Amino acid sequence: MKKLNKKYEKLSAYLDEELSSQETREIEEELKFSKELQDKLNELKRIKKLTVSSIRCIPEAPYFETRLAATLNNKERHFEKLRKWIPAMGFTVLAVFLMIFLKFNPGVLNELVEQQKTNLAGFYQENLKPLFFASDLSNEDVFNFAFSKQLPLDKSNGQYLKLGYEPDGKEFFEIKTSGTDIQVDNLNKFVSKLKLNDTQKQQVDSILESYADNLQSQVLVNDKNTIAINPNLWNYNKAIVADLISFARKANKEEFNKIVPAGYFNYDNPEIATNVRRVKDSKDNQYIFFTPDTIFTESYEFDMNKFKKEMEIAKKEMKKNMEEARINLRDMKINLKLDSSFAKLKNDTSWAKNYKVFFDSNLCRVQLPQIVIPDISMPDMEEISKQVEEAMKNIPPIIIDVPGGKSKSYSFKYEYKDSSSNPVKIRIPNVDSILKNMGIFKGDSLLFNGKGKYFFPDSMASVFNDSLMYFDKEEFQQQMKRLQQEMERMREEMKRLRIEIHKDTLQRDKDDGSVEI
Amino acid sequence: MDSKNTEKDLQNAQILNLDDDFSLVKRFIDGDESVFAVLVQRHKEKVRNIIYLTMNSSNSVDDIAQDVFLTVYRNLNNFRFESQFTTWLYRVTVNKCKDHMRKIKIRNIFTPINEAESKTDDSITPEDTDVSGIVQKAIRRLPEKLRVPLMLKDIEGMSYQEIAETVQCEIGTVKSRIFRAREGLKNLLKPYEEELMI
Repeated sequence: MKKLNKKYEKLSAYLDEELSSQETREIEEELKFSKELQDKLNELKRIKKLTVSSIRCIPEAPYFETRLAATLNNKERHFEKLRKWIPAMGFTVLAVFLMIFLKFNPGVLNELVEQQKTNLAGFYQENLKPLFFASDLSNEDVFNFAFSKQLPLDKSNGQYLKLGYEPDGKEFFEIKTSGTDIQVDNLNKFVSKLKLNDTQKQQVDSILESYADNLQSQVLVNDKNTIAINPNLWNYNKAIVADLISFARKANKEEFNKIVPAGYFNYDNPEIATNVRRVKDSKDNQYIFFTPDTIFTESYEFDMNKFKKEMEIAKKEMKKNMEEARINLRDMKINLKLDSSFAKLKNDTSWAKNYKVFFDSNLCRVQLPQIVIPDISMPDMEEISKQVEEAMKNIPPIIIDVPGGKSKSYSFKYEYKDSSSNPVKIRIPNVDSILKNMGIFKGDSLLFNGKGKYFFPDSMASVFNDSLMYFDKEEFQQQMKRLQQEMERMREEMKRLRIEIHKDTLQRDKDDGSVEI
Repeated sequence: MDSKNTEKDLQNAQILNLDDDFSLVKRFIDGDESVFAVLVQRHKEKVRNIIYLTMNSSNSVDDIAQDVFLTVYRNLNNFRFESQFTTWLYRVTVNKCKDHMRKIKIRNIFTPINEAESKTDDSITPEDTDVSGIVQKAIRRLPEKLRVPLMLKDIEGMSYQEIAETVQCEIGTVKSRIFRAREGLKNLLKPYEEELMI
């Protein structure tokens, strides 16, 4: 049966003219001798004829293309509508992906931020070099840094870096482009005030020179207008003052006491020396980076030895070719440009919690409330610095003579020394009670310490600093004159009063009827 | 004179060449979407007939044909020129018909029995006297896999090779299915031997 079906299949294909010529010849041979095959072929022909004749083609659709074109346009418009939402959908998918990713990797974002911070820090740390070379800093500059807290950044443009403390004790630094009020020749005035001999003067020079080298790595700059300040600079300032004061006291105590009154500097020399050494040996690598974009603190290791080698090479070059080396040396030094690029820091609130910037055409002041200065317990040199700074001016000092603690009722005198006239001496008895009554000095402690020799720095010092110490000669003389006139008037008044009282007494006695003797 | 004829022949050859399906498809791929209208114009009736013969109904012919040409429009850029354009077009058409029939079957599952019965009545009754009507009903009752090759051969006049490519099967299978379709028709039409003079 299966074999027969296969034959009929072939016959059906023969009817459709789908057999090869070989198969066609074979089937035609068979058809000649097989009545059964002939009948089957006729049957298949009739079925095919019925199929072909019964099926009519579907009538043409005249608007088919029009409808298709409309559908295509609609589909395109629909796609266009969807395409509008693709960005929104993309962002949504991205947001969801990020949320899921951050849910399972919460540290990634912080790492990324830290990485970016490091990259930014790296960018600004490139090519940092000392702002001033040791050879550029004169002893006068170092001396002025000690007592005026000013370092020259660019002497030709009058640009100075000034350190300081706000009234609330927070550190600040300023970059001044002009108008500095620093006096000249302070070092020589200091030497002459102390009446130092040549050897002692050389020792002072030696002290100052030793700091010039160290100060190099404390302020760095680069070509990206970055200034990096090591907070240890504040300690250096104190160390230089302490070192100089310590030396001055040792060199000429008598003259030193005329500049720095007793009680202001009460530190042992070995203690000072230890602290100075600690400041110089401090390897603190945390710098404050002041950039046109931001202010930040970051660890940075400045390779002083490498820099010195570069300098050595530059010096050798200088010997070979003076002109070329001078250009190289000039290229190595980068001057900080205090331009308007820093001004935008003022409006940036991202770091405003930590720093405050005040900016005008010739001054940029940065308050640094959160810096960490290496913890070296240097004595507070603020008051002493003021004393020395004032001493360098041409105002005759007021010398306070503090008596010893032998007397029960404490008193002291001060002398106003005029170079041309005799000393003016004013005696003020029982100062402690006066100040207590005036409310200036509160508490039970006396003006003197237990031994009765020194003023406490926070009591009389403040009183005198704020008042008498800074009177100039003419003003003081005028005030004295007015005081004398007042006293004279008071004396006259008292005399008149006494006479009147006397008269009244006599009159009353008379009225009482007492017997006159 | 000879050179003029040669030039004319060349122009005709170029025109013919540019107008064949491959050239049109190539132009479409190159960005000339206007040629798609030519392709539609050229093949729409064939596509509609295949749908009509495959579905045995004129109800959804135009809808399916629209769907076929939309699919072709979207996928024509991916045409790889490995077969005739018509072979690919008819294959898309048959597949669309199959999809449509599948949808109808699924829809019928959720349609009430009475409503479904009233929709299609392919049963041949003794009252039927129209020869064409009787044969059409018999064809409709053939299974799809037998009916489609038979229609493509007898009505569309495709070769077994083209049918095999369109319905994606072997030529031997096509040969067998066409014979079985004819045998099936013979059996269905046996009660009407006299009227039909089989």
